[in-house]
Amino acid sequence: MTIAPAPSTARSLRRRILERGRDQAVPDRAVLVLHDVTKRYPNGKIALRDVDLVIPEGDFVFLVGPSGAGKSTLIKLLIRDEVATRGEVVLDGQDLARLPRRQVPRIRRKIGIIFQDFKLLPTKTVWENVAFALEVTGYPRRQIRPAVDQVLAIVGLSAQAKQTPNQLSGGEQQRTAIARALVHDPRLIIADEPTGNLDPLISWEILQLLLRINELGVTVLMATHDSDLVTALRKRVVALEEGRVIRDELAGAYHRAG
Amino acid sequence: MFSFLLFGVKRAWQGFWRNAAMSLAATATMTLMLLLLASFWIVQAGFLASLSYVEDKVGVVADLNENATNLEIQEVQGRLKAMPEVRDVQYISKDEALARFREERAAQGQQDLTTYLDKNPLPASLEVKLRKPEDYRVVASFLQVEDVVAKVQNIEDTTDRLVELTNFLRTFGVLLLAVIGSIVLFIVINTIRLAVLGRADEIEVMRLVGASDAFIRWPFVFEGALVGLFGAAITMGVLAAASEPLAAFMTQFFEIVPVSVGSISRDVTVLVVGAGAGLGIVGAWVSVRTYLIR
Repeated sequence: MTIAPAPSTARSLRRRILERGRDQAVPDRAVLVLHDVTKRYPNGKIALRDVDLVIPEGDFVFLVGPSGAGKSTLIKLLIRDEVATRGEVVLDGQDLARLPRRQVPRIRRKIGIIFQDFKLLPTKTVWENVAFALEVTGYPRRQIRPAVDQVLAIVGLSAQAKQTPNQLSGGEQQRTAIARALVHDPRLIIADEPTGNLDPLISWEILQLLLRINELGVTVLMATHDSDLVTALRKRVVALEEGRVIRDELAGAYHRAG
Repeated sequence: MFSFLLFGVKRAWQGFWRNAAMSLAATATMTLMLLLLASFWIVQAGFLASLSYVEDKVGVVADLNENATNLEIQEVQGRLKAMPEVRDVQYISKDEALARFREERAAQGQQDLTTYLDKNPLPASLEVKLRKPEDYRVVASFLQVEDVVAKVQNIEDTTDRLVELTNFLRTFGVLLLAVIGSIVLFIVINTIRLAVLGRADEIEVMRLVGASDAFIRWPFVFEGALVGLFGAAITMGVLAAASEPLAAFMTQFFEIVPVSVGSISRDVTVLVVGAGAGLGIVGAWVSVRTYLIR
């Protein structure tokens, strides 16, 4: 796979120093590297087998596959809800398996995650839901207001800031969740079936929003069943089946071409 | 550190009121449990006071020889006082013994027959108060061999039985309080666990956005303390309102027993506030822990 040349920013320099001396097969500019990852659950079920995956910075990747193919397990490994039985999961230069428990919250702040069921807190307003992500991570109070206002503007919810989730449409709720995922300025957005509960028109809206965020330089990994969206976009597609990567193609469709 | 504390307390306060139904239910449970605990404590305290009062009555009474001199009596008295088992020694002269006898008869509404006597038949005596009624035998056998002592009044059987009974009652009281205490502990912790369970979504979101364990845990712990302190405040209010009639009843019931209301109310305050805050904190801590360890 070809990797885009790195812009020489201070950030990429810092990461390059971090990754120096690592396995030579690991590209410099990858946000996420899975190397030979196998996940076996305590009940003996093997959810992932020998998965290799490299996601370079700025990529937009669809993760497809039938239910039970291992998409959820893969996402759990990325946010370190689970730890790989074998292999390496390297996020932003850090091997998650070797990460001490105390460091886990820190790595999660580099990831923004979006779910099918939004996971918004019903007792808080839109603004508070987004601010919550910063408050509970010890963000300086003075910086919370401008940061929240900014992401709400990006997702187009400035007018709804004072409403609670049950006053919003499904699309607006998902955009709130996206704002919350964005507010930490993450390196990677993981979207787990983000359009699963939305009708096609709203699904398109959400996808457009994720594409725009991707254009702002944030890497996006989107797990989905929505074949129309995937096929129409011709982005990179990684297909899982029975725990294996069976297909990884640039400008792919939902189903195997031909 | 200070800003973290402020954050925690603020979030606890918000959390309490935004989930008012659950918080108030938890507070109500906490209040009832604290009331239960406090009531048993008060009953126990009154009970123990009565027991000690009864035990205080146990003493060794030694009738003295008519011909014992003051000097001899004082000498025996001095040696008695030096014994570690002895709390107090009182000399009752013949006249005092007579006066007491007359008083008792009068109190029983009986005729005073002593006026028909030409001379006081009652002996002088030494009344020895004991630190512990169990020591009865030691002091009695000490007195029996003294020359000035005519006779040691025999209350051995009664004393033995009393000691047996009070020891049993004390153990029973402590056991009962322990049982009540554990019931209160489990109910309160389970109530708080339910309240935290109802906020599992909130904890999950916190974990996903990368909140550290401390940021997740402490607001809940403060909230648990808040539930405990509110519960304690209401409990103390109820107890204060009930204390007047209760005290009146207690004084009436125990009549002669010197129950120190002041020290009981201080103990109860410490117990209620401490148990309330402690249970709230421990309950929240263990409940949140379930969600943190992965």
